[in-house]
Amino acid sequence: MFSKANPKQRALVIGLIVLGILFTIFFGIRAVHAYKKFNGHRPPPPGKVETDVELIREWMTVSFISKMYRVPEKEIFDALNISPLGTQDKSLKDLNNDYYPDKDGFVMETVQATITAINASRPPLPESEPTAVSSPTALTPVSP
Amino acid sequence: MSEFLLTQVINFGTPLIGLILLLGALGFPVGASVVVIAAGAFSQQGVLDWPSAVAIGLIGVMIGDTLSYSMGHYAKGWTQKRFGNSPTWVNASESFQNNAGWAIFLTRWLVTAIAIPTNLIAGGSGYKFSHFLFYDVTGELTWILLYGGLGYWFGSEWELVYDFISNFGGLILGLVIFGFGIKQVWNWQEKKKLAAI
Repeated sequence: MFSKANPKQRALVIGLIVLGILFTIFFGIRAVHAYKKFNGHRPPPPGKVETDVELIREWMTVSFISKMYRVPEKEIFDALNISPLGTQDKSLKDLNNDYYPDKDGFVMETVQATITAINASRPPLPESEPTAVSSPTALTPVSP
Repeated sequence: MSEFLLTQVINFGTPLIGLILLLGALGFPVGASVVVIAAGAFSQQGVLDWPSAVAIGLIGVMIGDTLSYSMGHYAKGWTQKRFGNSPTWVNASESFQNNAGWAIFLTRWLVTAIAIPTNLIAGGSGYKFSHFLFYDVTGELTWILLYGGLGYWFGSEWELVYDFISNFGGLILGLVIFGFGIKQVWNWQEKKKLAAI
């Protein structure tokens, strides 16, 4: 089969085929597992307010989290007992290292608990858009 | 590294995306695909403006690809001197010229791990720059719109998309390596048959 090739080329091609098979098997299995997770999830509907606090990561900043979960930034900083001045661009990991170096994971847990508490205090979102049109009298008159 | 960059993308926005994609196109391990998918999600969450993220990202990656093509182009003299008389190099260069368009296009978004060698070979084999740029822009735009679009679609659950895409990319790379090896064996078989006639 390899009679036209010199031993170096032969070894290189055998190496490539083996490497290709190993890559295919390794990443193939991982891709199937990832696809199962990926396929089981549906994209959130547009305009949905995120409520799953398990999606918070240590690289996120407080201002990013406040946008993602639509919660006031101030409430998160208050819960952490940290001033927002000069800390808005810091990740949760950096905040933890700078302000609570002895309490591993404290900032993450506090942020998650704060958002969970805020979500619990919010009125439940309706399952679908209301069909009834509110009375025109409910509108605030606008002066010309 | 990627986590640090994600924090900085949140803080500095689209200009940093352009810079990251430029560095990625030059071969720095900055996790450009993660950033593209995450940028899509950040756009959906209202943190980034997607049209400017697409435009600046595309400009950044095009500059990076052009620079790596240029490296290959300016090393052409050396490669010609070193390998110019080798029939393997001549065959490989000819084979690349015949399939360069597809190779450039597909390595932008499907088999991204071999994008930089492809740029270097394109520059080094004398592949026309205007043709390179056409396939490069088409491929990179596909990459940004496809990966970024999936990130936008999945929003805060974009990590699922990245997990699948990175493993799928590895699977395709494995198949390409395997296919390349099999093709080489096939070529030897053909030569053997011709020699026997």
